[in-house]
Amino acid sequence: MRFVVRRLMLFVIALLGISILIFAAVRILPGDIASVMAGMNAPPERVQSLREQLGLDRSLVQQYTDWFSGIIRGDFGTSMLTGRSISSQIGSRASITMPLIILGLCVAMALGLPLGFMTVAAKSPRVRGALRLVGLIGGSIPALWGGLILILLFARGIGLIGILPSQGFPTQGWGSPPAAFMALILPAVSVGVIVAASLMRYVGAAVGSVASSGFIDMAMGCGMTRQQALLRVGCRLAVPQLVSVLGLTFVEMITGVMVIENLFALPGLGSGLVTDMGNRDLIAVQSELFMLASVFLIIGMAVDIAHRVLDPRLDGTDDMSTARNEENSAHANPDEQEVSQ
Amino acid sequence: MSVVARLWQALRNTVRTLWSTVSGRYAVTVIAVWVVVSLISLVWTPYSLWQMDGYNVWAMPSAAHWMGTDGTGADVASWLMAGSRTDLVIVLLTVALSAVIGMCLVALMTLGSTWSSNATVVAVDALISIPTVLLALVLAVPFGASIAVVVVACGIGYGLNLARVVRPQALLVANSGYVESALSNGASRWRVFAQHIVPNILPVASVQLSLSAGTAILAESGLTYLGIGVPSGIPSWGRSLSLSVRLASVHPLTALWPGLVVALVVLALNLCGDVLRERSGVHHAGVASRQAASEGGENDR
Repeated sequence: MRFVVRRLMLFVIALLGISILIFAAVRILPGDIASVMAGMNAPPERVQSLREQLGLDRSLVQQYTDWFSGIIRGDFGTSMLTGRSISSQIGSRASITMPLIILGLCVAMALGLPLGFMTVAAKSPRVRGALRLVGLIGGSIPALWGGLILILLFARGIGLIGILPSQGFPTQGWGSPPAAFMALILPAVSVGVIVAASLMRYVGAAVGSVASSGFIDMAMGCGMTRQQALLRVGCRLAVPQLVSVLGLTFVEMITGVMVIENLFALPGLGSGLVTDMGNRDLIAVQSELFMLASVFLIIGMAVDIAHRVLDPRLDGTDDMSTARNEENSAHANPDEQEVSQ
Repeated sequence: MSVVARLWQALRNTVRTLWSTVSGRYAVTVIAVWVVVSLISLVWTPYSLWQMDGYNVWAMPSAAHWMGTDGTGADVASWLMAGSRTDLVIVLLTVALSAVIGMCLVALMTLGSTWSSNATVVAVDALISIPTVLLALVLAVPFGASIAVVVVACGIGYGLNLARVVRPQALLVANSGYVESALSNGASRWRVFAQHIVPNILPVASVQLSLSAGTAILAESGLTYLGIGVPSGIPSWGRSLSLSVRLASVHPLTALWPGLVVALVVLALNLCGDVLRERSGVHHAGVASRQAASEGGENDR
């Protein structure tokens, strides 16, 4: 319980810190936001009215508290470009990004979990070596290029076996689920394959570190074969680490799918953010960045707490840094950014 | 021994270690070719980068243009050669920055008071869940697309990662008997850090840094594609890749090369890390720290 309270406090502090950082990043622009947003050739009156409308004539502290208290009340502001509220904009984008991430994660787990387990459990050293190499190669492919190859193979109208749509999302959104689902298949597979490679290495590392521990020897001493011991004992012991990894992977994928969303012309969170930046819709950018950052921090916290729950051995300790620690100490392999490319 | 001689010695040892395995040989060869091509591209490329040929766009590979031409008729091979130096610079700067950040954090964790070391641990854990891309986006809002955005965002992200990866080993050493005796013999904290802690975390750190180097190249290509990485006009692999991707459906073959180059080089860096890990027995570090933790000496778990 004490752990949860401390982790919550840390979360609040980190959230405040991040909000100040993002606020500052938007303000330290050369020139002021209003003239940037109004455009190069805007008449001065237009800039002035925009400045008042956005409250930019007030002090920075005042602006920050206004913005932040608005967010706490759930008011993210209004997009300058579309005139829609930013929260509804985020919502409609998330309705594409979230299913994409979940589908991608399913693909990644279907490939990464068994293959990663086999990199440790396979009997033949050749198979183990080959699987490790596959993981390394998968982690070396730029997402952009991987997606491109899939497009060239399977995209309708372009690919060798043109069966799947590769550009855009149905305009009626999830109104027609089959079409929407079809539009997500290729992007999800491209993301999934790349995430699978890093997942595979994580799983290999996690199971590998358990395999060299005394628990497996003990289980084998009780009459299990190595394979049985790894499957029944090893997997359970690796679960807390894997949950941490999956949580963080999920988080990483929110920005990790940006490139893929762009490539497949899906109007998701990531590509939306890049579009808003290109359009200099800075108020929207500010709120969206904050929203994303808070999602990352929330999931980071949830992962830490879940790790605690799943690994009761940690209960006696009181250190904040506990969770998510082990996959690192076990194996110097947490190239977590892997996913983001 | 002077610092340069020592570094040279370390480099020779590393290359020798790598050369003893097949994948290590691949890694050394690819990285050597990369460096050589970068240097050559400073003085010579088959065609000038800005030599465009409107009658010969999207040409297939031929004797004149080894990898064909792009949408402006410029030579793809020349751009890739020139891009290799940009990526080399980005990788070197990113690795250096992340090493500095990582080492500073480790110093704070191991040398400072209990309060400062706890604060560092907590800060690293809270910030680690912020992805590099988001960091780059935040930086790109005021500064626009630039190489510095890629380097700083990746440097911070990988530096935090590095600190977390070497933490168990660093704390193990910091609480070891020989550090205690060095301290009681009057060695300063900095001396202990430089002489005992750094050499001990170097194997783990070098593995992590070589993985970061590969990730930095992937990050460059992704960020450049999103328009927040290397600015247009400067050659880079990410630029070549994203330019070819936009029209890949029409001219698939030109899109092949940049991605292939990136994948081969990143694979080399990943294999480099993999071999170094195998050879240094880094994967045992986790077991060691776990034992230390269960013996109750350490509060890292």
